Amino acid sequence: MRKKVLLHVGTPKTGTSYLQDVLFRNREGLREAGILYPADRFDGHFLAALDLMRLTWGGLETQAVGAWDRLAAEVRAWPGTSIISHEILSTASPTQIDRAMTSFGTGVEVHLIVSVRDLVRQVPAEWQENVKHRSLVSYTHFLEMIRDPARDTRIGSWFWGAQEIPDILSRWGATLPPEQVHLVTVPRPGAAPDELWRRFSHTFGLDGLELDLTPDRANPSLGVPETALLRLINKRVTSVVDPPDYRPLVRELLAHQTLSRRTTSARLGLPPATQEWVQELSRTWVEEIEKRGYDVVGDVADLVGQPAESFTDPDSAPAADLLPPALDVIKALLVEGSRLRTVEADLARELDETRRELDLARRTVAEKTVQSMETSRPGRVALAAYRRARRR
Amino acid sequence: MDSVGAARAWGWVAHLRDGGATPWADWTGGSTPSARVLPGAQQLELLRRLNASTSPVEVRAQRASRPALADRVLTAAAPGRGKPDLPLVGVEASPYGPQPVDPAQLPAHELVRVATSVLAEDVVALGVPAPARRLRRPWHRAVRLAGDPVEAAHLRDHLAGLGRPPGGPGSRALVIGAPLDELLADVWTRRCFERGSGAWLEWLRFWQQRGELPPRIDLPAVVDRHRPRHRDVQVVLDRDRLPDLLGVRRLPPVVRPGADAAELARRIATVVGLLVPPDERADLMTHTLLPRMPATGHAPVGLPAEHREWVSAAAQRMVQQLRRGGYPVVGDPAVLVPAEATDQATGPASDEAVLDLAVRMLVDDTWKEQP
Repeated sequence: MRKKVLLHVGTPKTGTSYLQDVLFRNREGLREAGILYPADRFDGHFLAALDLMRLTWGGLETQAVGAWDRLAAEVRAWPGTSIISHEILSTASPTQIDRAMTSFGTGVEVHLIVSVRDLVRQVPAEWQENVKHRSLVSYTHFLEMIRDPARDTRIGSWFWGAQEIPDILSRWGATLPPEQVHLVTVPRPGAAPDELWRRFSHTFGLDGLELDLTPDRANPSLGVPETALLRLINKRVTSVVDPPDYRPLVRELLAHQTLSRRTTSARLGLPPATQEWVQELSRTWVEEIEKRGYDVVGDVADLVGQPAESFTDPDSAPAADLLPPALDVIKALLVEGSRLRTVEADLARELDETRRELDLARRTVAEKTVQSMETSRPGRVALAAYRRARRR
Repeated sequence: MDSVGAARAWGWVAHLRDGGATPWADWTGGSTPSARVLPGAQQLELLRRLNASTSPVEVRAQRASRPALADRVLTAAAPGRGKPDLPLVGVEASPYGPQPVDPAQLPAHELVRVATSVLAEDVVALGVPAPARRLRRPWHRAVRLAGDPVEAAHLRDHLAGLGRPPGGPGSRALVIGAPLDELLADVWTRRCFERGSGAWLEWLRFWQQRGELPPRIDLPAVVDRHRPRHRDVQVVLDRDRLPDLLGVRRLPPVVRPGADAAELARRIATVVGLLVPPDERADLMTHTLLPRMPATGHAPVGLPAEHREWVSAAAQRMVQQLRRGGYPVVGDPAVLVPAEATDQATGPASDEAVLDLAVRMLVDDTWKEQP
């Protein structure tokens, strides 16, 4: 059997969370079929990517120490096909990519897989991701920053690092023949719900395997008023809530578990002027990709995207639209607050017991002597005399 | 990549590896590739700055003793979400990816990012020193120190050296106080040498907007926390009384890291956190880097004018709380109120000052020797 690594490096918002969830939950079955998905937790490859790229991520990076080397060691030790998948790998630098490729060892056939979606959908999705990562930036300003050719802002620089498909393919595919570079396009809106999975399954060689495909995790999108509300919340809280607290409380509890359940509100699209610019840019990408001769799964022309029928501006969402999601958020926080109060009371009780046991356990003989002297009057007098004599 | 531009870039890489310091804009030589990947402009410019700050004799000496430094700088990842590795202007003609730059024009903080990656590896390689084992002298009155974290840590180390480690059953607690602006500066500085922190001004804004003080220097709250476990708790605001309270004849002066050293440590701590588990990071920053940090002559961070009002108001509230609550205080609580602003108050260190220190530590590794 030829040793292979299927290296999926993005891009974000292309069904990657669903794919990674399926791979993680089915890893035992995959192993039996000769395919290794080396992870002992759902976000194992995310941590490995943070480690490889020396990225901080709201405190999560402290759990990532040595994660890439461990992942690479498992891949080297596996005789068959290994799958690595995380979308933030799309932003890796050439030096980091060189380190990653080298870490798989020699004699390995590396296949690069990049899942891609049109910028018409990616641009609003990326702004929304920014808002879910503490950003205060308005949609209008975000669009200005990504249109700045200098890419001097942190947002512009990150956006294109993660979304500029020809550049990602050049960086990651620099040492690979085009037939080992696979582009999976996300189907157009309205396609069959399982179409993206079918493309992933074909590309990753999973066809014919019995897999549990029940969706368990996803990175759900928010509606326009929900995202506008979250940005207003960020304005109030980012200066007073540290990133390690923001992630579970705002991103997970408020955005993912509460606001994303509101599915009937308007979805975010592109303003008409930006849409034209994005589609023009995408056409040049399509030409470039066709020229390079990669293996495309789906239709590369889908990258041009489809114009939206209407545009709802999140920067001017009326207060009446923000009220219902705001009430949902207050409810979720109160429920969480009461849960944490219970946890706090339990921990305080346990800590008190532990402290008493520790004090008893760690006394030395000399300390016990001094302590016992302090419990009686003659003892205290003797100690005081001793301390005076020693000027202590 | 065009072949002439690429040859010129690889020639510059070879020149820099050899200790050269010619800026990219003035470089004309050529060479063949010496690695699979051309390093980014940030890495190359940092190496040039290192070479430029070293005399030719030193470069030759270092080439023998530290041949790996150039390699480490050239392959160092710039941590965090800054710019990606940037291509050199005049080399990369791709219409995709970040725009090429003249490395001499790169802002200092981009070079500091690369430098912290290498310095963090150095700190991790040094390891955590084994704690000195000294005979405990239990007949001394045991003391638990809290409050000002720089001063408390300094006193703790001094007493431990005398065989008096902190705490223990029956110990008294001394909560060290000072003017609130100094306490804030000390908490932030100490955090830089523990698990890292937000930048000085960002950190101050955090506490200002929360309307709270960091738990370590909210002195009445510190006293309340220690009361259940210590029969005698005192807030010490008169430092002249400390030797007597601690039962020592004299105390060595406290050395406070300058704003540039603290800022560099803060950035190093972030990268160390990517290389070792959290507890080990704190130990490395406190016990390995802090005692070795080169002295710079830069003053510690000071409170900027825009923060004086809320800090003074918080100090006044604390004075009232200590007085009205009958807290045991050695000294005058009014000491907590910051003195009037002076023109000499220093804000955070500039990126250039931080880069200067980072370059100095990379070029001259005597800081790695045991303090």
